[in-house]
Amino acid sequence: MDLNEKLKILSDAAKYDVSCSSSGSTRKGQKGNLGAAATSGICHSFTPDGRCISLLKILLTNYCIYDCAYCINRRSNDVQRASFTPQEIINLTINFYRRNYIEGLFLSSAIIKNSNHTMEMLLQVAKKLRLEEGFNGYIHMKAIPGASEELIHEAGLYVDRMSVNIELPSENSLKLLAPDKDKNAILAPMRSIGSQIISAKEARKTFKKAPLFVPGGQSTQLIIGATPETDLKILNLSENLYNKYNLKRVYYSAYTPVNTDSNLPELKTPPTLREHRLYQGDWLLRFYGFKAHELLSEEKPQFDIHLDPKCNWALNNLHLFPVEINKAPYEMLLRVPGIGIRSAKKIVISRRIAPLNYDDLKKLGIVLKRAQFFITCNTKYYGSTDIDDIQIRRKLVPQFEFEENIPYEQLSLFTLSSTTHNTSLLLNSTSAVKPLLLQDSLSALTGEL
Amino acid sequence: MIDYLYDGSFDGLLTCIFYAYNDKEASSIFREDTYHSNLFTTSKVISTEEDKATRVYTSIQKNLSHSTLSNVYYLYLSEYNDAETLILHYLRLCFKYTDKINLAKSNDVIRKVDLYAKRVGHEVHRFTGFVRFKELAPLMFYAQIEPDHFILPLLIKHFVNRFSNQSFIIHDLKRHVALIYNKKDAFLQNLSEEEHLKLMKAPQSDPFLDLFRTYYKAATIEERINIRRRNAFIPKRYFKHLGEL
Repeated sequence: MDLNEKLKILSDAAKYDVSCSSSGSTRKGQKGNLGAAATSGICHSFTPDGRCISLLKILLTNYCIYDCAYCINRRSNDVQRASFTPQEIINLTINFYRRNYIEGLFLSSAIIKNSNHTMEMLLQVAKKLRLEEGFNGYIHMKAIPGASEELIHEAGLYVDRMSVNIELPSENSLKLLAPDKDKNAILAPMRSIGSQIISAKEARKTFKKAPLFVPGGQSTQLIIGATPETDLKILNLSENLYNKYNLKRVYYSAYTPVNTDSNLPELKTPPTLREHRLYQGDWLLRFYGFKAHELLSEEKPQFDIHLDPKCNWALNNLHLFPVEINKAPYEMLLRVPGIGIRSAKKIVISRRIAPLNYDDLKKLGIVLKRAQFFITCNTKYYGSTDIDDIQIRRKLVPQFEFEENIPYEQLSLFTLSSTTHNTSLLLNSTSAVKPLLLQDSLSALTGEL
Repeated sequence: MIDYLYDGSFDGLLTCIFYAYNDKEASSIFREDTYHSNLFTTSKVISTEEDKATRVYTSIQKNLSHSTLSNVYYLYLSEYNDAETLILHYLRLCFKYTDKINLAKSNDVIRKVDLYAKRVGHEVHRFTGFVRFKELAPLMFYAQIEPDHFILPLLIKHFVNRFSNQSFIIHDLKRHVALIYNKKDAFLQNLSEEEHLKLMKAPQSDPFLDLFRTYYKAATIEERINIRRRNAFIPKRYFKHLGEL
C-alpha cells in the first residue's frame, strides 16, 4: 500500500476527533532546529465542513481490538485497514511542517494488542521527532486508557497536549456502547496527567530549566446525541472536569452516524445545533463566570433551541435587569446578553474617560439587538418593549420555523376573501425566510428521529 | 488646504508628520506615487529627513507609549488611502490628551485606528498559517502571497524563529517585495521586474502537495459540509495560493 493510500485511510479514520487546537504551548524555537509553538495556535487551512486544519491528525493504525458501537474503526466493521510505520509519520510531519501546511502532529491510534503496546508505539514516534529530528512544533497525543502510568508520564515530557476521550457522558452509556472500556480506566490517566501538569508548573517557577510537562494542557471529547444524557448532565460533567481535573478544553462532537447498531439512535443529520448550544454553555462556564446549575435545572435540563444560553439565563433572571452600563461591575456586564468579553472590557475602560451614551454602545461593538432589553444608559431604558419575559422572547426568538414544510398556497388575484388574504400572506412571509443553520431538521436539534 | 506628500517610506511619513503637525493648513498626507491632485488643495512634497523622523519616533515612544507607536506603524503598513491622514489626526489627538485617549473606544479616530490596526494584525496572524512553501531545492523553500496589507515586515520574526534551519523566500506578488532568509540573516528586498518574473516562473509541483491534498479531502466530514462557514474563515481572495483548495 503506498503512502497516499495509507494517509487517506488513516486520516479519514481520525477525523471524528474534533480537537484541532494548537494553542496554549510555550515551547520555544531554537536556532538550528525546526519548529516552534505559537501560544495562540494557528489554523493553516479549513476543510469544506468549516473545521480548521491545524495539526496533521492521523491514526498510527486503525486495526482495533475494541468494538465500540459508535466508532468507525470498531473491530466488527468492514473497513480498509492500514498502519503507518513511525518513520513514515515522521517524514510526513517534518515535510508538511517545512512547507507550513501544519502546526504539528495530532497522533492517535486504535488499540492494537493491548493498551501498553499501543502507548509505547505512540511514545516512540514522539520521542524520535523530538530527540532525533529536533522538532519543536506542536504535538498532541492521545493517552490510551489503561496504559501504565509510567508510559503516560514519559509521553507527557515530549508532547504539548494530551487528551483522553471520555466519549460517552455516563457510565451506563459506556457499558451499552463501549463494553470494552470502563470509566475508571478513562478517568485515572486524566487525574494523573492533571496533577503532574500542576506540579511541573510549580517546579518551573523555582527552576527555569525544569522539564516541560504537557505545557498545552489536556483536553477531552464527548459525543452528543448518541445516548440519552441531558444537556444538564453533560454540562455538569464538563464543569467538574474543568474544576477538578484542570482541563483546558472539553470538546463536544455531534454524533455522526457511521455505524448501524441496535443500541444507537438513527439520526438523519448530526445534532449540530445542540452541539453549538453546548459550546456556548461551555464558554459561559470558562470565561463568563457562570455555573452549570445557573444555566440549566432539573426542571429544564435541555438548552432552548431558539435562544442562546445567556439570553435564556437573563430571561429567567429578569429581576437582575436592567443594569446601568455606566455603573455595573465588569462581572455583571459579562452576564448581559449581547455583551461579550471584548465589549465588556471596552465599556469598562471607556467609561473611565467619560460616561457612555447609547450611540457610543453601538460604536463599541455591542450587539444592541439583544442587549437593548437588559441595559439602561444614563438611567434611560432604550429597549423596544417593556422588560417582560414574553415580550422580549417574542423579539429575540428567530422569526422562522425550523421545520420547513409550512403549507402555503399560491395567491389568486380574483378569488380573494379578506381572511385568506391575511393568512396566506403571513404564511408566505414565514416560509420565505429560510433558516441559515446547516440542514438542521427537527431531528438534528433533539438528536432523535 | 495643503496635501503633504511623502516618498512611501516610514521615515518619510514621520518627516511629513513633523512638518504637518503644527501646520493648520495641512489637511492630509498621501503617498507621492499614488497621489491625485484636486482643485481645492495644493500639495507639498516633503523629502525624507532622517533626524526629523527620529525625533518624531522617539517622541512617540517617550511621551506616548510603545503601543501607540505600534499602532502608527500598523496603520502605515495597512496601505489604506486615508491611513496617513488618520495617523496625523491620531497623533494630534494623543499629544493633546496624552496617551490615555486610547481608552476612549467610542472616539471616531480611535475607533478607526483600532479597526485598521486590527485588520493588519489579523492578516498577519492569518498568513502565519496561509503561507504555502514549495521546495525548489533541498531545504530551499519558496512561497507566493498576495495579502491586502504590507505584512512582510511583521512576518519575519515568526518565520525565522520557526524555520531557522531552512532557507526561504516569501514573495509578495502585489508589491514586488520578497522576504529572504538564508539561514543567517533575514531581510526584505525590493525586486526588479526581471527578478520578479524569474521568481514567478519557479516550478510549481511538489509531491507533498499531492499528499496534503489527499489529507485535506480525507479530513472532511461529508455530513457536515458547510461551505459558507469555510469561506468565512478563508476569504476567496486568498484561495489562489492555497494549493489544497
